[in-house]
Amino acid sequence: MNVTIDLTVNGERHRLEVTPWTTLLELLRETLHLTGTKEGCGLGECGTCVVLVDGSSVNSCLMLALDANGRQITTIEGLASNEELHPLQASFIEKGAVQCGFCTPAMILSAKALLDRNPGASEEEIRRALSGVLCRCGSYTKIIEAVRTVSKEVEDS
Amino acid sequence: METQYVGKRVPRVDALDKVTGQAMYSVDVELPGMLYGATLRSPLAHAKIVEIDTSAALTVPGVRAVVTGKEFPFTFGHMIKDQPFLSIHKVRYVGEPVAAVAAETEAAAQEAVEKIRVEYEELPAVFDPRKAALDGAPIIHEDLGKYDHGNVYELVPGTNISTVMKYSRGDVEVGFSEADEVFEDEFYIHPVAHTPMETHAAVVQYTPSGKMLTVWSSADAPCQRAKDLAKVLSLSFNQVRFISTYSGGGFGGKGAIVAEGIGVALAHFTKGRPVKVIYSRQEELTASQVRLEAYLKLKTGVKKDGTLTAREAEIIWDNGAYSSKGPEVARRGTLTIFGPYRTPHLTLLSRLVYTNKQPSGAYRGFGTTQVTWACEAQIDIIAGKLGIDPVEVRLRNFYADGDPYINEQIMHTAGLRETLEKASQEIGWGQKKPKTTGTKVRGKGIATTIKGTNTPTDSYCFIKVNVDGSVTVLTSSVEIGAGQKTVLAQIAADTIGVPLASIHIPNPDTCSTPFDFGVTSSRTTYHMGNAICLAGQKVRRQILETAGEILKTDPERLTLREGEIIDRDAENQMTLKELMAKKYGGKGGAIQGEGYFTPAGSSLIKAKPGIEWMSSIFWMWATHAAEVEVDTETGVVKVLKIAAAHDVGRAINPIGCEQQIEGSVIMGLSNTLFEEFKMEKGRIMNDTLADYKVATTLDLPEIVPIIVESHHSEGPFGAKGVGEPALAPTAPAIANAIYDAVGIRFKSLPITREKVLAAIRNRKP
Ligand code: FES
Ligand code: FES
Repeated sequence: MNVTIDLTVNGERHRLEVTPWTTLLELLRETLHLTGTKEGCGLGECGTCVVLVDGSSVNSCLMLALDANGRQITTIEGLASNEELHPLQASFIEKGAVQCGFCTPAMILSAKALLDRNPGASEEEIRRALSGVLCRCGSYTKIIEAVRTVSKEVEDS
Repeated sequence: METQYVGKRVPRVDALDKVTGQAMYSVDVELPGMLYGATLRSPLAHAKIVEIDTSAALTVPGVRAVVTGKEFPFTFGHMIKDQPFLSIHKVRYVGEPVAAVAAETEAAAQEAVEKIRVEYEELPAVFDPRKAALDGAPIIHEDLGKYDHGNVYELVPGTNISTVMKYSRGDVEVGFSEADEVFEDEFYIHPVAHTPMETHAAVVQYTPSGKMLTVWSSADAPCQRAKDLAKVLSLSFNQVRFISTYSGGGFGGKGAIVAEGIGVALAHFTKGRPVKVIYSRQEELTASQVRLEAYLKLKTGVKKDGTLTAREAEIIWDNGAYSSKGPEVARRGTLTIFGPYRTPHLTLLSRLVYTNKQPSGAYRGFGTTQVTWACEAQIDIIAGKLGIDPVEVRLRNFYADGDPYINEQIMHTAGLRETLEKASQEIGWGQKKPKTTGTKVRGKGIATTIKGTNTPTDSYCFIKVNVDGSVTVLTSSVEIGAGQKTVLAQIAADTIGVPLASIHIPNPDTCSTPFDFGVTSSRTTYHMGNAICLAGQKVRRQILETAGEILKTDPERLTLREGEIIDRDAENQMTLKELMAKKYGGKGGAIQGEGYFTPAGSSLIKAKPGIEWMSSIFWMWATHAAEVEVDTETGVVKVLKIAAAHDVGRAINPIGCEQQIEGSVIMGLSNTLFEEFKMEKGRIMNDTLADYKVATTLDLPEIVPIIVESHHSEGPFGAKGVGEPALAPTAPAIANAIYDAVGIRFKSLPITREKVLAAIRNRKP
């Protein structure tokens, strides 16, 4: 009953056999060992599993792996190019937006999806775009500041 | 002392791992041959187990072990040994683990769990701790009198009262007779979930040949958990190995054996294969642990000018079905119910009561949050009735340096007043209220807190200066997310005199990292920080002596800074790297030093003999000031701003302090306004994050963290702590602000929109 899918994850192409009920989250974490994507609920309620699918943020626990066939997936592991951090990653470090870090990959990817669409996003837009990812450490103030610092650079330039 | 790192806004040393997805959490651990565990949980709150039939489960393909309390009849409990790994003879709450399965896949384990049949004989259950404490209530632990327990706890066998504590000072009768007014109020604080984004998880391996039990988990006190497990399984401490991972949030919830327990039971039956147990979100919300709910009665005598004359407190704490850290939360939390106020005459009675509910445990604040709720709401009530400004009443009664604490410890209070002054100034205390427009009314509220740290407790560390000049710091302090590694690395770098980047602090491994009491009680910066100072000074001295030999000069003339060894007259210079290469380059070697810190014996904690345990080596003071806007038509409370001032002693890392303060404020706001378990017959009905609501970015108020530095004379670089007290004043500050806005006094938490609306509607015109 397995289905063959062909997808690109962080620029690398994979052809894989999956069961029809395998979620994208399971595929990433268990088959591809990309454990930077987290599972906080498995029900679409916490947002810690966010990845980018063709550039849009998606709760990977709600998406079937076979629906990812032919798509481009970006996970947190694929964000830095070589040694160079993505500006959002650098800003999260600099502004102290990371505590336990469990929500961090999803926060950064959700912010990336927003800024790719809307590079100069306002604080209010950032708040709204990140409201689907829970952070129990309560890093919200500094997360918003970290993202806003990056979007402001665009605005200022 | 001039510092390179301490006191600076240093980015966290663990942040790079975390922003790149490389940080390994317990849920990420993967080992060869690893099996997956799943748990069958009790559907009943209180029942006898008549029979368990596991035969069908055993036939599911891929199943390697099915275990019940019959095969693994052990119990654990750090304070009272009352909790079975898997139910033995009876179940005591909905969600209690009854049987567990290990299988090749999660799906097979889950399928097998569903095939286990259990026959129960239901027993009457009790959910309200006040009722459970009464004569005639169904008894939850018939064997309470036989349980092993810490000798500081007074158990009451034959009842549901797990522990009781009484204390008094002075003579309350005299105190009340001196009062002009006596206030009697009752408060309630609800249970809440820790809700770490990473649920409880563990991987456990037991190798029967060497009798070696290895646990990968993010437990916040790995040495304590290893000690507990060794004792109950009759192993020696060195046969139990906790390997710490990064933690996806703890907040006290990871201070007990939770997922580890299921893993330990299963691993004994998997012939050496490791087993991974990850709690689902539903299990996390219903079957891990929660904050102790509490009913608090406070009677306070006051003079007309607001001076407190006597206070009487009675608290009933809900322990849930098993004692996690409940006994200690009740014992320590109870003490600070009188707040940061001089109380000449006082008496208190605290009872911790079993109920047929999920176990309660440590929760950021360790009881302080519960008692602060009562104390600070009542101080506001008193101020209102006497017509004195709430800030004034607090100032009038605040401890001052030299005042005796309730056990006669001499208080060192620097920082307390400053937190109140700064927070109230930031919120614009006393300024005229803006005119109400439409249905939205504004109000301001203030609350303070006092929190100590468990004293005395010990920390050990070990520092290696490696052959290339890099430094490894070995400690058992877990990075629970609160910035432990960064603060400790900063202290090490400045003490030794090396660049921060040259320091590595691996995650703890109880086989090789030295003993630490645990990352609890806001103690790590102070205790492990001091241990690192001691070890760091030792290695620094050895480095300089070695340099003196090599440079043929008096080591006293040398100094080490940022990894450079410099002569006083700057004649000789060499780097630490060069020094190590010269000395050990050929055959290898290292410079090493150990540090051991305990506050025991410090003159600061002297107190009345026999009750020195109530002393704290440092006291943390804080004030939160809140401004809210209440919509009288909808009942929605919008928190506009919270100014949170904390006396941290010295901010080793101001970013880290701000993270703790901001994080606590939003957690406190969430606990206060949104979070509430809905229960039916002991079953939690809202067991998902869709129904158990926690705050999101949309609920974030303006938070102004204010750091007050009082410089503790014995703290590392003057530091104290901040992690726990930051949660306590948020709830009463919000409630006091709501009162200021609409004149409605909430004495019971949470303050949900529905409750606010109902109270506004019921308000007498
Ligand atoms: S894991 Fe929680 S939303 Fe996907
Ligand atoms: S940093 Fe811990 S959940 Fe966000």
